[in-house]
Amino acid sequence: MGDALIVQNLSKRFGGLKAVQDVGFSVRENETVALLGPNGAGKTTSFNLITGFQKPDTGSVVAFGREIAGLRPHVVCSHGVARTFQVAKPFGAMTVLSNVMTGAFLHHKGMAAARQKAIEAIEFVGLGSRQSMAARDLTTIDQRRLEMARALATEPRLLLLDEVMAGLNPSEIDQAVALVKKLASRGLTIVIVEHVMRAIMAVADRMVVLDHGQKIAEGSPKDVVANPDVIRAYLGSAHAEVAPGVVS
Amino acid sequence: MVTTLVQAVINGLLIGGIYALVSIGVTLIFGVVKIVNFAQGEFVMIGMYITYFLSNQFGIDPLFSLLVSMPVLFVTGMLIQHFLIRRVLGENDMPQIFLTFALSLLLMNVTLLLFTANYRTVHTWYSDESIFFAGLSIPVAKLIAFTVAMCLSGILWLFLHRTDLGKAMRAASQNREVAMLMGINPNWVFAVALGIALALAGAAGSLLMPFYPAYPMAGQVFVLMAFVAVVLGTLGNVVGAFVASLMMGVAESLGIQFVGADSGLIVVFMLLLLTLAFRPSGLGARRS
Amino acid sequence: MQSGRYLGLGLFAVALCALLAVPYFVTSSFAIDILIRILLFAFIGVAWNLMGGYAKQLSLGHAAYFGLGAYTSTLLQVDHGISPWIGMIAGGVVAMIASLPIGWLCFRLRGPYFTIATIATAQVLMLIFLKFRDFAWGAEGTTIPNLGNAPWMMQFEEKSAYFYVILGLLVIALGVTYWLERSWVGYYLMAIGEDEDAAEAIGVDAPRMKRYIYATSAFLTALAGTFYTQYIYFIDPATAFSFNISIEAALVSIVGGIGTLWGPVIGTVLLETTSALLQSWLGSSTGGIQLTVYSLILMAVILWRPTGIMGFVNELREGRSGKKTGGS
Repeated sequence: MGDALIVQNLSKRFGGLKAVQDVGFSVRENETVALLGPNGAGKTTSFNLITGFQKPDTGSVVAFGREIAGLRPHVVCSHGVARTFQVAKPFGAMTVLSNVMTGAFLHHKGMAAARQKAIEAIEFVGLGSRQSMAARDLTTIDQRRLEMARALATEPRLLLLDEVMAGLNPSEIDQAVALVKKLASRGLTIVIVEHVMRAIMAVADRMVVLDHGQKIAEGSPKDVVANPDVIRAYLGSAHAEVAPGVVS
Repeated sequence: MVTTLVQAVINGLLIGGIYALVSIGVTLIFGVVKIVNFAQGEFVMIGMYITYFLSNQFGIDPLFSLLVSMPVLFVTGMLIQHFLIRRVLGENDMPQIFLTFALSLLLMNVTLLLFTANYRTVHTWYSDESIFFAGLSIPVAKLIAFTVAMCLSGILWLFLHRTDLGKAMRAASQNREVAMLMGINPNWVFAVALGIALALAGAAGSLLMPFYPAYPMAGQVFVLMAFVAVVLGTLGNVVGAFVASLMMGVAESLGIQFVGADSGLIVVFMLLLLTLAFRPSGLGARRS
Repeated sequence: MQSGRYLGLGLFAVALCALLAVPYFVTSSFAIDILIRILLFAFIGVAWNLMGGYAKQLSLGHAAYFGLGAYTSTLLQVDHGISPWIGMIAGGVVAMIASLPIGWLCFRLRGPYFTIATIATAQVLMLIFLKFRDFAWGAEGTTIPNLGNAPWMMQFEEKSAYFYVILGLLVIALGVTYWLERSWVGYYLMAIGEDEDAAEAIGVDAPRMKRYIYATSAFLTALAGTFYTQYIYFIDPATAFSFNISIEAALVSIVGGIGTLWGPVIGTVLLETTSALLQSWLGSSTGGIQLTVYSLILMAVILWRPTGIMGFVNELREGRSGKKTGGS
C-alpha cells in the first residue's frame, strides 16, 4: 500500500493572516484520516489548497505519486481527488440524477453510461427514491448525500469530506458514519474534517490536528485525544476561565 | 500649457463630485444589499425633472429643490426595496440583475412617453457666472454643485461611522449573518440604504440642472461613470467610489482637453477595461 | 419517456411543415415582415440562451457580435465583391475570435459586473465604428447596392426567400440547443450556471466551457447580423451595435423561459406580436411605448415567474404527472 496523499510544507497567507503554516502529513491508501482542529485552524483552507481552489504560497501536495499543488480544481478531480463542501452546493435547479450524472461525465461522456454510473452512486448513498427530485428541494442530510454521490460519480481514489455531519441529529449521524465506513470498505482513501467526536472516533484510523494554521499533533485516535497540546487547543479558553488571571 | 492642464483638472474635479454622489449610491447598495442598481442613473434623471418642474412652475431655485428631491427619492428608495427588491433577494443573479434593469428601462421610457425627448433646462442667475482666478475660469454653478456634493458625501461618511444605524449598515455590508445575530433587521437596513442611495442620486440630479439639460436618457452617462468608479474603487467601498469618481472626472476632462471633444467616453471605457484586465478587484483595499 | 420524446419531435416536424407552407398562404408583405422579425429575434434569442440561459452568463452586449457579423460581410461584399453567404461565415468567425479577448476581459468579473462589462464592450465597438470612417464608413454607414434578384449574393426579389433563410438559421440554432441539452455539454453548462465552484470540483473545466459557449453564441449572433443587413440593405453603427438588440436577445429568453429549448421562440412570439399590436393601435410615433411595455412584462416575469413561460409550463406538467418522488 503506497501513499495516497503526501502534503509537505503547505503554507498560505491572506494579507496578514497565516491561514496555513508549514503543514505536512501523509495518508496511506485506503486509510481514513481525520483532520481536526478548532474553528479557524485552517482545515477548510487546507482542503482548498489540496483541491486547487486556492494556490499555496509554498509546499507540495502529491496525490498517488503526482504533484497536484497549484493545479486547477477540475484537473485535480481528474487525477482522482474529489471533495465535498462545508456548505452543500447542489445544482439546485437540476434533479438529483442530473446532478450526479454531471459528475459521472468526467469518465463517461455517453449519456447511457453516465446515467448508469450515476444511479450506482445514488443507490450507494441511499438517495435512490429521490432520484427525480430537484436538488434544492432536498433536506440537509440528503443534500450532503447528494454531494457525496456527485463526488463518487467522478470515480475518485481520494475523497475529502468537509464537515458532512454538521447539524445532523444523532440518528442521521449514525447513518453518515455507516456511509463513510461503506466508502472506506470500497477501497477509498478518505480525509475527513469533522467536529462530531463520536463520529470521528468511529471512522478514523489516524488523526491530524491543526491549530492556528499549524499541525500540533498526529497519530492514532487514542494518542491524539490524550495529547495535552490538543486538549489545550480545544479547551484553552475554558481553562483560562476556570483560573482567571493565570496566563496559559 | 500649465494653466490649461490645471483648468482641465479643475473641470474634472468639479464634475467628479457629481459622479461621486451617484457612484457612492451604487456602491452602498452593492455593499449592503448585494445587488447592482442598474436604474441608479434614472433616479438622477428623476431628480433633474423634479427640479425642472419646481423651477418652471414655482420658480424655486435648484438648491432649494434639494429639499424636495432628496426626501422624495429617499422614500422612493425605501418603497422600491420593500415592494420590489425584497422579492428577488436570494442566490440567483438573473432576477436581481434584470429587475433593476427593467426598472431602468421602464423609468426611461415612461419619462419619454410623458415628457418627450426634448431637453429641459433651468436657468439660474448663476448658470452663466464664473469666478476668474489666476488665469482659471471656475463656473459658479459647477462649483456650487461640487461643494454641496462634498458636503453630502461628508455627511454620509459621518452617518456611516458615527451613528448606530450607519454602523449597522456597515456591519450588514461586511457580514450579514453576524449582523442579523446582533439583532439588526436586514430589511430595514436595506431600505435605508436604498433610500440614501436614491436620495444622493436625486441630489445629483438637482445639482446638475443649472448647467445640464434634463432628458429621459440623461441618467445613462452618469450611471456608466458610476459603475466604472465603483469597480475601480472596489465593490462596496464607499471611500473608494468617492476617490475613483473624482479621478474619473479628471481623466474624462483630460481626455476631452487633450485627445478630442468626444473622447471623454473612450477614456473612461479604456480605464474600465484596463482595470478589468489587470486589477479586477479594484484599486481599493482588497476584501477577502 | 421515449414516447414523450417522439411526440415532441413529431410536433416539431408538423410545426416545421406548417411554417414551410406559410409563405404560400400569407401574401401580405407586412405580415411576412413581422414573421421574419419574429424568426430573426427568436434566432438571436436562442443564440443568447445558449450562454445566458444554460450557463447563466448574462451578457447584455451581444449586439457586439451582431454588429461584427454585419460589418464583416458588408465590408467583404461592398469592397471585394465577395458573396454574403461566405461573408456570413466569415463574420461568424470574426465574432468567435473577438469573443476570446472580450470573454477573457469580462469573465474576470462575476454576476452583474460581468453584465456591465459586456455592455461596455458593445458600446466601445459602436464608438469605434462611429469614429473611424476610413475603414467602415463611420456614422453614416452605407447601403448595399441593390442587385435585384441575386441569390448568390443573398438578395432576393421575393420576401419569402428571406423567410426561408432565417427559418433555416433558426432550425440550426434550435438543433444546436437540442443536441446540447441532451449531451454532457448541456449538463456541464447548467452546472456552471448553478454553481461554478461545485462544477469545477467534479471535473468541469469551467473557463474553457465558458469560452466555447461564448464563441458559439457569438458565431450564431453574427450570422443574424449579416442576415439583417442583407434584409434591410443598410448598415450603420447605431443599428448594427444597437443596445436594443442586446436587450431583446436577453428579454425574449427570460420571458419565454430562460435555459429552455423553446423559451426564446415563445418569448419572441409574445413580445413581437405585442409590439406589432401596439404599433397598429398607437402608431409608431409614440416613442417609448414598446420598451415601456417590454419592461413591464419583464418585471412581471421576474417578480412572479422568473422561469418564464416555459418554466411555468414545465411546472404544470410536473404537477399533472404527480409529485416526482418515485424512480424514473
